[in-house]
Parts: sequence; C-alpha cells; structure tokens
Amino acid sequence: MNVFRTATLGLVLGSMLSLIACETQVSSPVIRLQRQVNYGDAKGVELVTNEFGSNDLQQIAEKMVGSLLETGIFQGRPTVTISTVKNKTSEYIDTTNVMNSIQTQLVKSGKVRFTRSIQEMQAGTDELQRQSQSGLYKQATQAKVGQMTAAKFSLEGELTSIVKQNSGTKDVFYKFTLKMFDVQEGTIEWQEEKEIRKTSKR
Amino acid sequence: MRRPILVDSAPRALLLLSLFCFAAPSFAKDAADATAPAIAAKLMLRGQPNGLKVSEMRLTRKNDVLVVQADLQNVTKKDVVAYHRFRWLDASGNQVGDGESWKQTAVYGEQMLTIKGVAPTSGVVDLRLEMNVDKK
Repeated sequence: MNVFRTATLGLVLGSMLSLIACETQVSSPVIRLQRQVNYGDAKGVELVTNEFGSNDLQQIAEKMVGSLLETGIFQGRPTVTISTVKNKTSEYIDTTNVMNSIQTQLVKSGKVRFTRSIQEMQAGTDELQRQSQSGLYKQATQAKVGQMTAAKFSLEGELTSIVKQNSGTKDVFYKFTLKMFDVQEGTIEWQEEKEIRKTSKR
Repeated sequence: MRRPILVDSAPRALLLLSLFCFAAPSFAKDAADATAPAIAAKLMLRGQPNGLKVSEMRLTRKNDVLVVQADLQNVTKKDVVAYHRFRWLDASGNQVGDGESWKQTAVYGEQMLTIKGVAPTSGVVDLRLEMNVDKK
C-alpha cells in the first residue's frame, strides 16, 4: 500500500515538474509583426544622419527658452506673439515645430502670455463670430468682440545652414537666430543664437 | 645547498616593480578624477568617468530662475565624448518637466569646457547632472 502511495505521489510530482519546465514566457501586450520595432528615448542624441533632427530642435528650444528666462525680460508677464520663422537651409524643416517647442516651454514657465499668431488668428475670429453673431448663446456667456489683448513683443527667427563636403566627409553647420521685437517701438529687446555642427564620414 | 635570498627574491621584486609601474598612471588618473563631495552629490554618472572630471559647479539664481554652470575637465591627453543633461528638481525633490534632451559634447585632451543650464521654472530649487563619458 505504502509503495503504491509513494509511486502515485512521485508521479504527481513528476508531472508537475514537467509542466513547470515546459512553461513558456508570457507575452507582452504589444502588436508587432516581423520587424523589430521598439520605443526609444525621445530625448536621446539622434545620429542617424547629419540632417536636421529631433535633438537639434530640442537643443535650440532649450537654449532660446533658457536665455529668455535668464534675462528677466518677462517681468510682469508681458504678452508675446510668434511672427515668422524662415527656413533658409536647403532642407525641408518645419520651423513651426521649433517655435511650438519654445512656446510650450515658455507657457509652462508661467512667465509670459502668448497671443494668437497670424496663422492662429482665423480660428480665433471664427469662434468669436460664432459666439457673438449666431444668436445661439446666452448674452452673459458670449465672448465680446474687441476685447483681445494685443502682443507687446513679437518673436521672429530664422534657420540657416552652411554645408561643406568632400569625398570622405560632410560637415553641416546650422545657426538658429531668434529676435524679440517691441511691437510698438520696433526695437530689438532680446536676441539669441544657437550653433550646431554635425559632421559625418562616408 | 640553499641559494642566497637575494637571488630568490629578485624576480619577485622585479615583478612587483613592473606591476607598480603598470598601475601607477591609473592611480594618478583616479586621484585626478576624484570629484569634490559637494559636486558628487549633484552628479549622476553612469559608468566610468574615463578621465573627465566635474571640477567646479556654480549655481546662481538669476531673475528668479536657477542657473548652473559646470566645468568639465579632461585630465587625460585623449579626447572623450560626454553625454549630459540637467535634471531639475523642486522643493519636494520631484522632477520638474519632462527632462532635458541629451547633449553630446566632444572634450579634447586636457581641455576644460563649461556647460550651462537654466531651470525651466522658478519652482526649481535643486538639480542633478546626468552624465556618461565615452572614449573617442
């Protein structure tokens, strides 16, 4: 009887052990085909090519915001608007992205208020007209026409590049210049540059 | 017959001397690498410093925002590549913002380079310098 009990116990233990040994690793909740795709560090140094990249955009925005905050020009939370940002390089670069990063960081700093830029104005006036002229809204909750705050300062920038290459090396030098004008007086109240050099070997 | 002690110990002494000569430059480099405790408390170094030392860190408050300048000193003759970013902390020790982008900087042999950072808000009271150093 004892022999039979021991044998049964051994059998059960053995099958449990074999089950544990055969256990496969659980899958992660990802949708992935054959290609190896992974999320990377969005703040990492991107060195895929020497064209204008994400890290250049981030470095430009950080330098401009740091310089603006350090100067103390934003005493009293003045109003600022974004004017033009020219891309004078041979590459296609969405310069709005650079200005958006700068604007986001400045808004989050709480030191400045931004007014609508020229590009954002149409959507603003459309909403204002809808509220004031459609007759759909309560009088007390309607946004009034003629109450917008004008910008005291205007930000204007440009991105340029110098490209040099020979048979073995390509060197790209980017320069981003940002100026802040006093709208009423037309004077430059602040100006900063960010230089970036990227060299690649073929 | 026993051999003289001098003959027996001579190879050992030579071995010890050669070991010392081999290790001495690295002792000297380590001593030079040593970062001051006050700076070390603000430094988050991944891996080996590879001859790069944060020799000085200056913190000031300019127009209500924290401004930092750190001197990176390459104590070796070989060029290195440093990757760094500042991590900004509020009064509770929490990180402010999403974190800065990483910056790649080449530091030539025996060069001293100053890096600078400006806090994104006036709520920042402290910082950490995250860094790692690659041999070129």
